[in-house]
Amino acid sequence: MISPVKVWRNQKKIQKILGLYGIIVSWTKVHVPPVGFSSQAPYVIVVVKLESGKSYIAQLVDWSENSLKTGQKVKAVLRRTKNPGEEGVIPYGVKFKPV
Amino acid sequence: MKISVLGAATTKFGELWSRSPRDLVMEAVNEALDDSKEISLQDIEAVYVGNMLSGTLGGQDHLGAFFAEELGLHVPAMKVEGACASGGLAIHAGVTAVSSGIYENVLVVGIEKMTDFKPEEVAEALMGAGSDPERDAGASFPSLYALMARVHMEKYGTTEEDMAAVAVKNHYHASLNSHAQFTFPVTMEKVMESPVVSSPLKLLDCSPISDGAAAVILSSKIKKTGRNIFIVGSAVATDSLGLAERDDLTTIYAAKEAARKAYKMSGVGPNEIDVAEVHDCFTIAEIIAMEDLGFFGKGEAARAVRLGQTRLGGRPVINTSGGLKACGHPVGATGVKQVVEIYRQLKGIAGKKQVKGAKLGLTHNVGGSGATAVVNILKG
Repeated sequence: MISPVKVWRNQKKIQKILGLYGIIVSWTKVHVPPVGFSSQAPYVIVVVKLESGKSYIAQLVDWSENSLKTGQKVKAVLRRTKNPGEEGVIPYGVKFKPV
Repeated sequence: MKISVLGAATTKFGELWSRSPRDLVMEAVNEALDDSKEISLQDIEAVYVGNMLSGTLGGQDHLGAFFAEELGLHVPAMKVEGACASGGLAIHAGVTAVSSGIYENVLVVGIEKMTDFKPEEVAEALMGAGSDPERDAGASFPSLYALMARVHMEKYGTTEEDMAAVAVKNHYHASLNSHAQFTFPVTMEKVMESPVVSSPLKLLDCSPISDGAAAVILSSKIKKTGRNIFIVGSAVATDSLGLAERDDLTTIYAAKEAARKAYKMSGVGPNEIDVAEVHDCFTIAEIIAMEDLGFFGKGEAARAVRLGQTRLGGRPVINTSGGLKACGHPVGATGVKQVVEIYRQLKGIAGKKQVKGAKLGLTHNVGGSGATAVVNILKG
């Protein structure tokens, strides 16, 4: 279950990361997803070293095979993260896109 | 420190659909008591249960009382949870309890029942061990270890064949273990051809979903008859829950730190270890473990696997049980099973997979992607 209160609380953290640039430290293409992500598979997950000095893990969107490499520059954007639960709360979060 | 292991046993690991958690625990405990020859159930003063998912998957929490009832005991009993290191943590809790002098004899049980549920449900439940951003990203444990593997490959030249060699070795060891989930060998080709789960990790790089239980009786007393086996070092360390918060993805800091403390506590060095059970939840994890434990230099473990140095006949022999990869990985049971296997090796009763003359052994149990690590050192 996705708690709407938890989604609301986490939005403060997300806002600090949106718009930041960074580089891909590692990536993987997921073929066997956990519950809630089957409609997205295969999808790419990246660990990104941000310009702020911190690292963050999220999905990569708008990728092509060429962008799947360490050192690739990316930008943090806001995207829907997973299928909404029965309450209908649509969870949004950070994803990265190649730049 | 010197804590006696008076008795130890595991059930068979695997898809045990006809067996309940109660059945599995009773079998492991009764066999451990029989093995001790000197202890009966009434001598047990406390019970520590290593388990991760009973609440999330089975809807059953309160496992201490749950199993105490089954055993017919009214002693203190509690669940110890540290993701896939729950079993190792339960051993550590038992060791500290006996060391404190409050209890003379304690029972440590590890149990997990996973195959009643769909794989994607199990994958989601296991992600309870991860961080919020990892769950939001749709990460599974194969993907987290895949992210570590990618960096290890780029930094040290580790190849997919090197990782496959871990699976081949561990399946070979499991083929000598009647209690293993997979008692058949696999070839390098079969591992390399298996479908990709999360690149670069393939299906046969991954440990399976399993049911199983293991039990160990720890005591401050020594055995009157037969060979005494002791835990001479037991240490735990922790790190960030999430992978992204770590400085170096090619090492598990918590495992290095737990190993450093356990070596110091026991006065034993990595070069003295004859046999080790390490946490190979994925093949890359065994390569990283070999380096973190100091068995091989950084970036040199993959070569050692390729050359067969950690296979039966080499030294140190790693994962004689078949490891998590081939013996199976009922998560709460794994850390306890590792101690059972080393105990049997040091007693010289490990059967066809016996490491000749093994005197010192080590267990390495990791929770999450490295947020908890437990290292125990045993002496025969």
